[in-house]
Amino acid sequence: MVYFFQIVVSGIVVGSIYALAALGLVLVYKSSRVANFAHGQIIAAGAFITYFLTVDLGVPIFFSFLASMVITFFLAMSVERIFLRRLIGEPIISVIMVTIGLASIIDGLIYLTPFGTENFSFPAFLPTTPLTIAGVSISWTQLVGVIITFILIGGFSWFFKKSTVGISMRAVSDDQFGSMSVGISVPRVFGLAWATAGLSAAAAGCIIGNITGLNFDTLHAFGIVVFPVVILGGLDSIMGAVVAGIIMGLIQQFATGYLDGNWGLNGTGDVAPYIVLLIILLFKPHGLFGIHEIERV
Amino acid sequence: MSQNRWLATGNFYTTYREEQRTFSTHLDRTIFTLFLVLLFAWPMFFDLGNKYMFVVDNILIAIVAVMGLNLVTGFAGLISIGHAAFVGIGAYTVASVCRTMGTSHELVTHFWPLLIVLSGLMGAIFGGLVGLPAFRLKHLYLAIATLSFQMIFQWVINFMTFFNQGQTISIGRVYWITGKVGRGDHYEFWYYAILVIVILLGFGIRNLLKTKYGRALVAVRDNDRAADAMGMHPGLTKVYAFALAGFFAGVAGALHAYVFRGVGFESFTLHESVSYLAMAIVGGLGTLNGSFWGPVAIRMLDLQVEHLSEAAASYLPQGTNLATASKPLTFGLVIVLFLMFEPRGIANWWRITKSYTKLWPFRY
Repeated sequence: MVYFFQIVVSGIVVGSIYALAALGLVLVYKSSRVANFAHGQIIAAGAFITYFLTVDLGVPIFFSFLASMVITFFLAMSVERIFLRRLIGEPIISVIMVTIGLASIIDGLIYLTPFGTENFSFPAFLPTTPLTIAGVSISWTQLVGVIITFILIGGFSWFFKKSTVGISMRAVSDDQFGSMSVGISVPRVFGLAWATAGLSAAAAGCIIGNITGLNFDTLHAFGIVVFPVVILGGLDSIMGAVVAGIIMGLIQQFATGYLDGNWGLNGTGDVAPYIVLLIILLFKPHGLFGIHEIERV
Repeated sequence: MSQNRWLATGNFYTTYREEQRTFSTHLDRTIFTLFLVLLFAWPMFFDLGNKYMFVVDNILIAIVAVMGLNLVTGFAGLISIGHAAFVGIGAYTVASVCRTMGTSHELVTHFWPLLIVLSGLMGAIFGGLVGLPAFRLKHLYLAIATLSFQMIFQWVINFMTFFNQGQTISIGRVYWITGKVGRGDHYEFWYYAILVIVILLGFGIRNLLKTKYGRALVAVRDNDRAADAMGMHPGLTKVYAFALAGFFAGVAGALHAYVFRGVGFESFTLHESVSYLAMAIVGGLGTLNGSFWGPVAIRMLDLQVEHLSEAAASYLPQGTNLATASKPLTFGLVIVLFLMFEPRGIANWWRITKSYTKLWPFRY
């Protein structure tokens, strides 16, 4: 039974990280209908900027965490301004391919630095002995990571529900022409959506980096693995991203915990999200919380 | 229409038959035949050596794969981010025959054309299966379905002992009428074999697009509800587009297996899928000749970048990882720049050149 609860706990930890990583994808998709394949690279960039500030420049980790969020905020905003602004109205394949191309460019830029190939880890700033409750253990970095994740997600939800900018972003995602007619600048909203996505990506990168260590391959793989999460949650719902993130985390951890080693299976945790995704696409295409478009094939 | 094309100021067709012809004039046909003869003849006069013949073979294989991708993404408008996995299905069909029957079983060495067609059919079956969500979904959701197929494929190859866990599975040498194809002739032999296949498939696509099945693809891309109203079945058309792309990919995969004389996991990763997409876009989506330009451009670029970064590495300080960095960097830049400044690809340059020379000295 302890084994079961241990898996549940680690599933929730992994799942809440997925939720935070998926958040950025949902933000961009919600406002501008763009699937961002470069999200994993922005996550990695955020994590590496934090590491660089903390270790090489000696900034306290809390401030470098905030600083990297600010930097990726402007980085993502300028990416939108330079590359995606001129593609508004182009077919969806062009936009998707531009984000794939951007992912490739950021890959190249990170490979130019030592971060591309070597492994790093953040200096420990929390107690290293894990917290154990009734045999189920959780490390302090995981606990703090989950708490920060939920604070951030709560903050973003509040931002979308209450603030003027958040409301204008929701208006744009609902009806672009309508929001233009009430005086909302649609391009500015797109830029802001990318910027907030960059900000959440940096936060996700730091939390992942603290839990698993900094390795470029694992960090940018998060950009692909969040796709099953956002599809399960229904591409344009923040609540959906949170619920789906935790469900995916649990599925992954249960697959790893109970399937691996039996029947000659191995590494099922990596593939389970995609199998679940294919099944969802066949039976519940718009996910758990997605908007059902009336128009179908 | 055998009028003097040098005096014509444009294309004038008076019947649908004339418009549907592959070559509109005798001159066109002659030029194309001469071009084909040249393609067959040049290896007899220039000896490129195995190293570069291998590159040429590689480009031709990519052309076969990209023709399929262009059908599904360019003509039918369905984004496929798992094309390398379909290529892998073809390659692993050949590989699994080798695993079960032995590396030099007659089926592999003597009846290789049969095996290539079989791999194509396997690719088509898997393509149809992955396309099944197309009955209910479109756009991004479909793209993600192909992405998840890519990931599942990678996992299956990496964890199944039958597929040697992604390590290389060797393929035997083939026989031709003249006997066993030896080490010296290997790449040249396959150059001719793949060239014939490319020509056959190229004409196949060209003719397909003039039939109702080909036009259905384009109609579903442009407006699927209108296509539905006109009596086509959009879902079925999409599944069939995926199956068709899978067939091309399967053929390309089998050729890949034979040319490389081995099948390894690293040729069918997500990165390869993306580079097939890049080839289709750089060549020009929704054009047949784009499927020829794209692979040539991207593969040559890869080669040149490799040479240049090797040369430049000695001038840079130690520790900068130029060799691994330059490839994704240039690759990404090429995709982004093409999409921003020439979204219709190299095929558009070809079209402009053609109409310019045709209409010269007049502008329009």
